Amino acid sequence: MSQLLDLKKADTIPAWCPGCGNFPILKAFSGAFAESGLNPEKTVLVSGIGQAAKLPHYLEPPCNIFNGLHGRALPAATGIKCANHELEVIVTSGDGDMYGEGGNHFIHAIRRNIGLKVFVHNNQVYGLTKGQASPTSDEGFVTRIQTHGVMSTPFNPLALAIVEGCSMVARTCTGDPVHLKATMLEALRQKEGFVLVDILQPCVSFNQINTYKWYKERMRPIPPEHDPYDRMKALALAFQWGDSIPTGIIYRSRRPSFESRQPVLRQGSLVTRIKQKTLEQHQ
Amino acid sequence: MVDVLIRIAGEAGQGVVTAGNTLIGGLSGMGVHLLSTQSYMSRIRGGLNWYDIRVSDRECFAGREQADLLVSFTNTAREVLSGSLIPGGLNLHDGEASDSANMIPLNAAKLAKELTGSTLAANSVAAGAVFSLLGYPSDALCGYLEKLFGQKSRELADANTKCARAGHECIKKAGFWERLHAPLPSGSVIGHIWSGAAALGLGAATAGVKFATAYPMSPSTATFAWLAEHSDQYGILVEQAEDEIAAVNMVCGATYAGVPALTTTSGGGFALMAEGLSLAGMMELPVVAVIAQRPGPATGMPTRTAQQDLQFALRAGHGEFPRAIYAPGTVQQGYQLIRTALQTAHWYQTPALLLTDQFLQDMEKLVPVFPETDKPIDRCLDLDAGAEYQRYRVPATGGVSSRAIPGGKALVVVDSDEHDTAGHLSEDFQARISQQDKRMAKLAAMQAEALPPEYYGPDTAELLLICWGSSYGPVREAVDALNTSGRSAAMLHAAQIWPLTPDAWKLRLSGRRRICCVEGNQTAQFAALLRETGILAQAETLLRYDGMPFTGAEIAERIGP
Ligand SMILES: Cc1ncc(C[n+]2csc(CCOP(=O)(O)OP(=O)(O)O)c2C)c(N)n1
Ligand code: SF4
Repeated sequence: MSQLLDLKKADTIPAWCPGCGNFPILKAFSGAFAESGLNPEKTVLVSGIGQAAKLPHYLEPPCNIFNGLHGRALPAATGIKCANHELEVIVTSGDGDMYGEGGNHFIHAIRRNIGLKVFVHNNQVYGLTKGQASPTSDEGFVTRIQTHGVMSTPFNPLALAIVEGCSMVARTCTGDPVHLKATMLEALRQKEGFVLVDILQPCVSFNQINTYKWYKERMRPIPPEHDPYDRMKALALAFQWGDSIPTGIIYRSRRPSFESRQPVLRQGSLVTRIKQKTLEQHQ
Repeated sequence: MVDVLIRIAGEAGQGVVTAGNTLIGGLSGMGVHLLSTQSYMSRIRGGLNWYDIRVSDRECFAGREQADLLVSFTNTAREVLSGSLIPGGLNLHDGEASDSANMIPLNAAKLAKELTGSTLAANSVAAGAVFSLLGYPSDALCGYLEKLFGQKSRELADANTKCARAGHECIKKAGFWERLHAPLPSGSVIGHIWSGAAALGLGAATAGVKFATAYPMSPSTATFAWLAEHSDQYGILVEQAEDEIAAVNMVCGATYAGVPALTTTSGGGFALMAEGLSLAGMMELPVVAVIAQRPGPATGMPTRTAQQDLQFALRAGHGEFPRAIYAPGTVQQGYQLIRTALQTAHWYQTPALLLTDQFLQDMEKLVPVFPETDKPIDRCLDLDAGAEYQRYRVPATGGVSSRAIPGGKALVVVDSDEHDTAGHLSEDFQARISQQDKRMAKLAAMQAEALPPEYYGPDTAELLLICWGSSYGPVREAVDALNTSGRSAAMLHAAQIWPLTPDAWKLRLSGRRRICCVEGNQTAQFAALLRETGILAQAETLLRYDGMPFTGAEIAERIGP
């Protein structure tokens, strides 16, 4: 074989474009994680594939990481939570990953209301594959594939999650780092059930419509008098888009989590229930 | 050899299987060998289904085409299946008495209604009648019914034993006692009735599987259902996945977190799992999938049998990674091999697949008692790994790194992207080659440990029948039939499909006058694999792909002179 090129120098970290909305997300998440007091050893970060999904590799201090397949973060996270529900399982992924390729899992993981904290970096575009429409792209959004503009209605993840009785549903934006971090901290502190945080994130390379400025002009923090347990009011907020986009905690439910309803988990996590001698290597 | 085949037939929804289960349950106390097979259509009502029970004084391994007794629940069943009776075979039907000495009238439903006010116990009437035809007293049957229904309700138990005795009496009075040449009740054959599907479930549960997830698909569902039914007893979390993609990815997650886990599916569902299987190869996770085959392509024939997915199981998943594939030939092998699959997956941190099919899933057999206590496999974990831990450190030989699980001092980083020794995504060519080499290095050790083929028959047999998986039974019976008729035949059966051990195979192949591969598919997939691996140069093939299983008599006949 001929000499291998050494790309180590070029393989810089993170692999994000300068100015990308993923940077503030990483920063806010690191801060919120530190403040939450969660133990990295007892935490698993799960992601799919995409630019957003690389975040777990960049987190300081590091955690356990399961960086799985495109679209399949939720079932992998579900398997981890089932095996050991004492672990904190956090999912970070893109909108294409979560709402497109993984759409079916999104529906059913929330139906289960399994205890996962899910942060979706919603840049309304496919970043890693260079700028195709995502399920949340606005109608009319023109790309090299959608040459006449997107013709489908954008997917509304918040409304879906509310309809399914998700434990906590929130929206925030990278344009407001304080709000971003505070919302993430709230999410990490949630004790029970599925938590969805949809993070509006500008993609400076492939989305020239939904820019920092565009989001900034439209973000409207939800007034404190909003009762997140009021499902119909929450739905109304979830449907607001365009000139004003509500941010904050939109909805909460008191539905018990999947884990708390499993009779077999009452005696402790599955992983502790395997009769196992000490390490006994094969051969 | 005494060998009686009882065929119970009717429409879907009429309780054909319940009747069969009642009868085989009752017979299991007689000390004779028992084996049942099923044939059914993909519908919930109507159609024509049947349930065959073989009662013999010798161990049986497969079904038979011709029946000695047909118990028909409908006229259609009688009309269609009378032709499958042996000459002089008996017809137990619910019509009027006739002149034919072989037509035995029994209106089980009417009799049950008269005796108990409901037709619910009609199956017990029929079972009593069959006991009488076999010349067996009704006591063993009543004892079984007592046990079956006694826990539920006294009334139910009494109604059923009463009906069983009435059916028995009725046949005896009409002069049909002992009309079937039955094996002598001996009491020497003891055990329990287990289906192939249930044996897989028990094997998995006792091997320590704690998480099972699947999307329903015939003929795999019976194994998944067994696990669900016994989930409280064995402490298993059973979750129905939204699709097969979710199922395999959940298993990836659960095994990453340290819990032995599996999924069950059929060819179509396994097609959806291909990417997840590849993920298990990349992340080095002990993922196990049971693939219960049925005829394809596409939806194919959902309730029929096939051995068509060998090459698919072997190649599924993009990229190159090691895997082990097992294919039990009997109910007992299913119990053992699901454990072997789980253990191999954990030893080598790579996926293992188990191929079964409708024929073997539904086959029930009286087998010596399986150990039912929890005896978990070794997960081969490094539970003391510390902060310096790296998941994919390259060992000096063998490719197996030490495996820690999240929750301890060691951080466990796994990635579907190519990664460095720490598990972090890497585009470095050097890392790529060393990690790919490390993964593939496991294959050599897996090969050295692979199960050798099982040889059955005289050492010097001239004719060698090669088979794999569920064809074990029919081929073994064909070998017996051929040898009884003065031929010299033997069987060579693969219970492990991959990796193969060429030396063990070649040892058995030399000096044969004739070699024939018997497979339930159209393209002789295993024969192709034997050629590809240099084990076999040339062989005849004997194939079947109509959706029905082979029988021993069929193979013996098709082998010809
Ligand atoms: C099965 C499969 N299909 C397609 C891809 C290619 N792919 C990688 S990331 C991606 C979309 C990324 O978009 P998003 O999830 O929104 O993340 P972003 O890169 O924008 O952060 C696609 C289509 C893949 N890796 N796997
Ligand atoms: S492509 Fe867009 S989302 Fe991806 S790193 Fe660049 S700016 Fe960020």
